[in-house]
Amino acid sequence: MTIMMPAPDQAVLARRSAIIEALRAIVPGEGVIDTPAEMLPYESDGLMAYRQPPMVVVLPDTTEQVSHVLKYCFEQGIKVVPRGSGTSLSGGALPLADAVLLGLGKFKRIREIDFDNRAVVTEPGVTNLAISQAVAHAGFYYAPDPSSQIACSIGGNVAENSGGVHCLKYGMTTNNVLGCEIVLMTGEVLRIGGKTAESAGYDLMGIITGSEGLLGVITEITVRILQKPETARALMVGFAQVEAAGECVAQIIGAGIIPGGMEMMDKPAIHAAEAFVHAGYPLDIEALLIIELDGPAVEVDELIKRVEALAQGCGSTTCQISNSEVERNLFWAGRKAAFPAVGRISPDYLCMDGTIPRGALPKALARIRDLSQKYGLRVANVFHAGDGNLHPLILYDANQPGEMERAEAFGADILRACVEFGGVLTGEHGVGIEKRDLMGEMFSEIDLNQQQRIKCAFDAQGLLNPGKVFPTLHRCAELGRMHVHGGKLAFPDLPRF
Amino acid sequence: MDTLKVRDARDVEQVVRAAIANQQPLEIIGHGSKRMVGRPMATNALLDLSALNAVKSYEPNELIITVEAGAPLADVKLLIDSKNQQFAFEPMDTALLLGTPAAGTIGGMIGAGLAGPRRIQAGGVRDHLLGAQAVSGFGDSFKAGGRVVKNVTGYDLCKLLAGSWGTLAVMTEVTLKVMPRPESERTLVLRRLDDVAANKAMTAALGSPFDVSGAAHVPKSALRDATGALGDLGSPKNALTLLRLEGITASAADRAASLARALSRFGTAEILEDEGSAAAWRCVRDVESFAAKGPLGAWPVWRIVCPPAAGGALGERLARETGGDVLYDWGGGLIWAAMPPRPDAQAQLVRQRAAAAGGHAMLLRAPDEVRSRIDVFHPASDGVAALSERLRQSFDPKGILNRGRMTRPGASSGSAA
Repeated sequence: MTIMMPAPDQAVLARRSAIIEALRAIVPGEGVIDTPAEMLPYESDGLMAYRQPPMVVVLPDTTEQVSHVLKYCFEQGIKVVPRGSGTSLSGGALPLADAVLLGLGKFKRIREIDFDNRAVVTEPGVTNLAISQAVAHAGFYYAPDPSSQIACSIGGNVAENSGGVHCLKYGMTTNNVLGCEIVLMTGEVLRIGGKTAESAGYDLMGIITGSEGLLGVITEITVRILQKPETARALMVGFAQVEAAGECVAQIIGAGIIPGGMEMMDKPAIHAAEAFVHAGYPLDIEALLIIELDGPAVEVDELIKRVEALAQGCGSTTCQISNSEVERNLFWAGRKAAFPAVGRISPDYLCMDGTIPRGALPKALARIRDLSQKYGLRVANVFHAGDGNLHPLILYDANQPGEMERAEAFGADILRACVEFGGVLTGEHGVGIEKRDLMGEMFSEIDLNQQQRIKCAFDAQGLLNPGKVFPTLHRCAELGRMHVHGGKLAFPDLPRF
Repeated sequence: MDTLKVRDARDVEQVVRAAIANQQPLEIIGHGSKRMVGRPMATNALLDLSALNAVKSYEPNELIITVEAGAPLADVKLLIDSKNQQFAFEPMDTALLLGTPAAGTIGGMIGAGLAGPRRIQAGGVRDHLLGAQAVSGFGDSFKAGGRVVKNVTGYDLCKLLAGSWGTLAVMTEVTLKVMPRPESERTLVLRRLDDVAANKAMTAALGSPFDVSGAAHVPKSALRDATGALGDLGSPKNALTLLRLEGITASAADRAASLARALSRFGTAEILEDEGSAAAWRCVRDVESFAAKGPLGAWPVWRIVCPPAAGGALGERLARETGGDVLYDWGGGLIWAAMPPRPDAQAQLVRQRAAAAGGHAMLLRAPDEVRSRIDVFHPASDGVAALSERLRQSFDPKGILNRGRMTRPGASSGSAA
């Protein structure tokens, strides 16, 4: 492990059996798990290089139980790590040795489907895909579609503000959630928002979404659902240079076209994907764009023509257009399987997640190539090109001493480059532990202190998911201290009226 | 009262720091176009941001614009319009409703967070604010968000800044997402529907696959003295239900025809094209029916947000019980209600009915004495009010910025209903 987590509280560990007993009184039966063998599946999330057995796992199935567990832990000064399906790629659900791991996996019920208000009220353990499936018969779906959508929970999506290939046009989780029931660390249960387009007062739903389990535990979510577009067609366009593909992306957006999805893969990613799923990807190109247009047929057909012309103008070498759902799905099959495909050509890989301005794409790719040489590690690139979200996959072998550390250093350099080019550290995977120590690349101490004061407003003792997101933990009292800069006329030369 | 006209973010820091030292709360203004919104403030100096008005960068291909907070909204809209782009959330111009001359600044637009008809499709101001530089009540400049659309790095502070009416921080520079302006628009006009039937028609339209970007209903009563585009359409003074479709020309026309067929049970639809359609939606967006200079100019105006399918029954009942006029946007999810003047603007009744329908109500226009007497913003539950206050204090513990604008100091936060 190269990332330091907060030191375990020995006094809490010493009370472990009493704590387990108290938790059993709140969540009876099999809801409290304390044997090493049974706790094994909870040791890690999607960032599998990091493992840590929790002190105990608790799986409540009512809001009341969640509230009582949190209240108990608050009173006893015990840390809590919330967990949905455990698919986080940034270590957001990594346990702590002295913390209760609070799993929301039993919250599996969709509570209400309200087609008239285009809203679904659901428990947090329901998978992302299950929401779309539950409303599909009426032509609706839930728009954000992270690639883990068959497994990831909607509660985890809210915690991480998950994206997906279609968020270019339909937004991320934050643009598609309306309200929630949240339990604060004190056990207090609050209702935020509802089936309304906006809530009264400050946008609490907005700050909760993407807060990575540091502010509260969500026990119910109201999401908005959309009617499925009438049709969708995709183009698969090959380019001899990555720069030309990048230019094509810019021109499509510049022409006022917002595709449903616009993905790019570089040569290593194309080859890995093609070898895995045989989607018919051309292999003699440097970059492949998959561009999906959705809407009424008359619109899609017209936009396909416009995009094809733009691609030709940018020097595309191949262009296929889907004429059936089978073909469209085949175009996507390789992209959607890109991560496991890369997993087949390398014992291990690290998936990065920076975002850059679209225009910086060629520059960023050149930098990644240079870094690949410097670190002596291969890299395959897949991007959500439409919104500049890069997913470089760094290939390494954990069994070779030092390779994992080298891969992590390579990844950190890529993220530093993203910030240098005007972008950000993470587009959709979250900071978690993975990018925690890089936060200073993007934010000053003042910026981070403001964020941590928000944490204090929700969780003044810092008991909920500590060690994630923020590189340095401060006491709330220290953060709230005001340095008064005296002097009555600190701005003597300011125009007054 | 002192007006402190700042020239840059550094000035803002200095002014806020001095205000902290002198315990002198500040009112934050741009053009001052929305000063009469919210509770009258307990401040004794003005921090004027109107000179912070530069466009820092505009990159049409990146779909972003970065401007200083005091930049005039009208100028920025003209600039992005020249590249066939727009703010997709269709910001409301409150000048007509409030009777103020200017359309205000970008900072004011964000602080108010008043999105127009396209909110149902494209989201609100909060969905398009990508990043900001702002000065907190600590007197420190901090950064929120970034300059790219896809960003989950740290807490999403931009969401809190949008719609916070200047009570959390003084934004000095902001980055907003811009979107391509649709090639064409079509509006279906249905006539003579009562509020509940219109609500059903809008619900059907918004539940269709035709990507409706505006759904509004103007009851007959709200048209009685209407002038302008709605007045022309409303003749001979029958209720109007408007449904907008936008996109490339072939698509907008095709969907308009499909939607008209799908809604045939609600009557035969007329179709407005492009400029005629745009003019009608400007009237809806800016609530022209209740204009300050119009016949209902002296009436208080409520802005009620509710579950969209509940709007028709709620609005119809409110109009009946208060003798007021209503109009509907967002498919019924936004009700504008003008009411005969009363000392309390009928707050208790409005809030009780709105809350019972799952919604909330804000008093957007009323005289000072009414706004100092009642909660202008919908009171939250005790727990949410306490959390909101802790959040406010995390930005501005001394209450320097727009003190008292959103909540009554010391008011017990009673439950809404």
